[in-house]
Amino acid sequence: MTSVAPATFLDPAMLARISDLALLARTVVEGFMHGMHRSPRKGFSIDFAQHRQYQLGDDLRRIDWKAFARTDKFYIKEYEADTNAGVVFALDASGSMNFGSGSVTKFDYGRFLTASLAWLSQHQGDRVGLITFTDGLAEVIPPSTRHLQLMLHTLGHSHASGAGQLKTSLDRIAHITPRAGIIVLVTDCYEDPELIGRAIAVLRARRHDVIVFHLIDPAERDLPGRDAAIFEDLESGTRIPLRPGELRTKYRGLVDAHRAALADRMTNAGADYVPVETDKPLDAALYAYLDARLAKSRVR
Amino acid sequence: MSLGLLVPAFLAGLVALAVPVYLHLRHSEKTKPFRFPSLMFLEKLPIRTSSRRRIVDPLLLLLRALALGLIALAFARPFFSRDVAAQISKRPRAVVLLLDRSASMSHKDVWPAAVDSAKQVIQTIGPGDQIAVVLFDEEAEIAHAFTADQGVARAAVQAAKPGQRGTRYAAALRAARQLLTAAPDATHEVVVITDAQRSGVAGLAGLDLPTGMAIRTVAVGTKDKGNTAVTGIDIRRITTGDKTTIAAQARVTSHDLPGPRKVRATLALNGRASGARDVTLPQSGDFTVAFDAVPLPAGHVNGTVVVDADAMAVDDTFHFTLPDEDELRVLLVVPDDAAANETLFFERALAIGKAPAVTVERRRPSTIDTKSLEKAGLVVYWDSPPLAGPIEPWVKKGGGAVVVAGHRLAAHPGTSPIVPASISGLADRIADRGGTFGELSIDNALFIPFRDARASLGAARFWRYPRLQPSNGTDVIARFDDGLPAIVERRESAGRVVMLAVPLDADNGDLPLQPTFLPLMRRLVLHTSGHESSPLWKVTGESWNPQAIVRTPVVSTPSGEIIRPAADSAGAAVALTEAGVYSLYDGRVGGEPAAVVAVNPPPGESDLTPVDPRELLLGVRLSNDAVDAAQAKAAPKELENRQSLWRLVIVLSALVLIAETLLATHGWRGVAGRVTASPSQSD
Repeated sequence: MTSVAPATFLDPAMLARISDLALLARTVVEGFMHGMHRSPRKGFSIDFAQHRQYQLGDDLRRIDWKAFARTDKFYIKEYEADTNAGVVFALDASGSMNFGSGSVTKFDYGRFLTASLAWLSQHQGDRVGLITFTDGLAEVIPPSTRHLQLMLHTLGHSHASGAGQLKTSLDRIAHITPRAGIIVLVTDCYEDPELIGRAIAVLRARRHDVIVFHLIDPAERDLPGRDAAIFEDLESGTRIPLRPGELRTKYRGLVDAHRAALADRMTNAGADYVPVETDKPLDAALYAYLDARLAKSRVR
Repeated sequence: MSLGLLVPAFLAGLVALAVPVYLHLRHSEKTKPFRFPSLMFLEKLPIRTSSRRRIVDPLLLLLRALALGLIALAFARPFFSRDVAAQISKRPRAVVLLLDRSASMSHKDVWPAAVDSAKQVIQTIGPGDQIAVVLFDEEAEIAHAFTADQGVARAAVQAAKPGQRGTRYAAALRAARQLLTAAPDATHEVVVITDAQRSGVAGLAGLDLPTGMAIRTVAVGTKDKGNTAVTGIDIRRITTGDKTTIAAQARVTSHDLPGPRKVRATLALNGRASGARDVTLPQSGDFTVAFDAVPLPAGHVNGTVVVDADAMAVDDTFHFTLPDEDELRVLLVVPDDAAANETLFFERALAIGKAPAVTVERRRPSTIDTKSLEKAGLVVYWDSPPLAGPIEPWVKKGGGAVVVAGHRLAAHPGTSPIVPASISGLADRIADRGGTFGELSIDNALFIPFRDARASLGAARFWRYPRLQPSNGTDVIARFDDGLPAIVERRESAGRVVMLAVPLDADNGDLPLQPTFLPLMRRLVLHTSGHESSPLWKVTGESWNPQAIVRTPVVSTPSGEIIRPAADSAGAAVALTEAGVYSLYDGRVGGEPAAVVAVNPPPGESDLTPVDPRELLLGVRLSNDAVDAAQAKAAPKELENRQSLWRLVIVLSALVLIAETLLATHGWRGVAGRVTASPSQSD
């Protein structure tokens, strides 16, 4: 295994041959971490940060009994590394995700990414949960340190189909995740950026940290084909006859504008926007996740 | 070699060619669509769908259209007529020689040239060939039916000579068509030898000729078409006291003269020179020569107008006759209580006009006797019933009677059997502003002047008129707009009785105030009386019925031939074939003729303007009779062999369909999508 270049394990085409998501996630993370062991991002600090007064609902196990003995008051000892955050992976399972011009579809890529991130999070002490959604919530696995296998099993049997309503789904996610945590949204973002921005703002208002992985297939970026063809919407079934060769330039302009708008709205809402092209290795996404996770880890 | 179709109606199946075109244009709809994540961005773009209206695979379309076209052609049962054409070319010839002998063929050296041309045609007759000689002018005469003997045909041509009648190519071609039906197995050929006079083309339009008949025209006219002819004359009687003179004006026509021509025109009456004029004729056009008035000779007058002879002499002498004064006497029988102005419009209307001049003589009903009827041409009963007596036999012998019904006749209709209708009261149309003419038998001779102006009769309105009830054998030739008979007519042996419910006075209608009144009244008396004006001349080709004049007609022709027309009605007419004067005698030739008629060639014969031989057949309809006849004789097996082409076409269409299938399912056409990126979608 050591003779294999780590990047190979992150190549989507390679990952597509691995049917076991757990193995896949482990392969990805270990391969990724193998190349990162000298990286400053390698782990979370466990240094003491501060005491804060006990508040109703705090875990009794985190009470600093020594401080209680001295002051007769309940204090909670906080460490920088002790986030132990709940990470909810929200994977878009709408029909539009069931598209891929290369070896993997966006949904497959999303599953790989979700599994890998969940594996990574689990092994860094986070509680992981999963929500798949289309125009509503399909599968909901609440965050837990014991739910990784369930997550991977659910991901392995999920299919992408049906119409998607990203805004509605995000609102529902905000509704069922009252505890602040990390929301990792894996979607193709076929929604009005303004609406997505509002939904993200709602999540942020609930003190969630939001990372949005925008999956982009090269074909939907470039609009394939030259001759006349009928294009069918994977979600609605609507058909449009067109000549892609004549529309490509304008189409690309619209896609770029969409991505720019998404980035703008996400930034304004305080979310991390990570565009991910599905023909690229997973490491870029993992880097982006770790960057965001590190920044959010300094929770007090 | 030509391609024929046994059932050409199946070619309507070619409409199916629109199917592959339609499917082709709709092809993009039927191919597997390219499934795309979202059309969110594409829907915002102005998408051109021109590809739907464009043929994207011309080769495939061509194959499909070809297959359908071949199938339609196969069902139409094609066949080649090469065998028929070959058979025709090997057949013996049947030649009909049409030789023009009209008056114009006597112009200069035209006739000798025509005879020479005819002999040359006869010389071309080979072994097995046949030739028939037809002489034609206005009619066609078969001089000799089909013969293989050149000498006989040559003799028939040699015996012919130009006549004095007009030209009708249609008559000649009909005769040729009739002759050729007797030679169905031969190649039909018609040779027309003529001066190609344009005036002879009348009647060609619509003539049906078989397509297998080859027609060749040999034009023998000369280049010099200059000709002068006397084409008409107008004679006016001038009566001064007891002395009557006539003033004659002859119409001389010149055609295509090289320049103005000075001629001397001479008028002769009964063979005696009665006037002469030296005139200069224009190059082309009419010129009127006015002769001095001369005393009218007693008895029948035959006259001629002669101009100096030219290359065509037959039209340089114009014959005419001067009949006795043409007059129609009408006895107007009015009731005793009739006011003078009641018949004013009627009498005035008849007083206008000549040829014939109508003389109205008012009579009371009781004064009609045999003697008064002797010189009468018509009796008009003005609102009074015909009394029993001589009127009935007079009408049956050919006399005419008009009964004008009014309120008196409605009250006292009388009992005369010659009245064609009974009367049941009066119809009052004052309340609805008068009635009008309704249904008219416009083909009746009474309405000849109104055939092209039928609406003019509708202007008249009638306030009050009798209700006629026609008796058996009576024809209603006009009705009012309420359906009641307006004018009825009944033949009485040789005579005729017409009864009018139409008011002819101005009190019960306004017909006398309408412009139609005068021609209608004049036509009424001429039609009912059966009066026919004697023409100054007739033209060759017309006929003359002398039996109406004498009981045992004997006719002396201009050439001195004596003709005794058959007594039956069919053979009584004498065909006027010569220019000159025909004299009619009763029983035997001698003494003063009972009647004379002058005959001249048709004026059209004087115009030698030729027609392009190719134009002759422009209006002729060609039919496939010849081919059909040849095919009808073909053996059934041969016919079947000729039509076996459809099997080949069916096989060919099947091969095309197979090729289309292979082409459409292999190569890039077998791939449904036409986008370069092939989506990998997991289900």
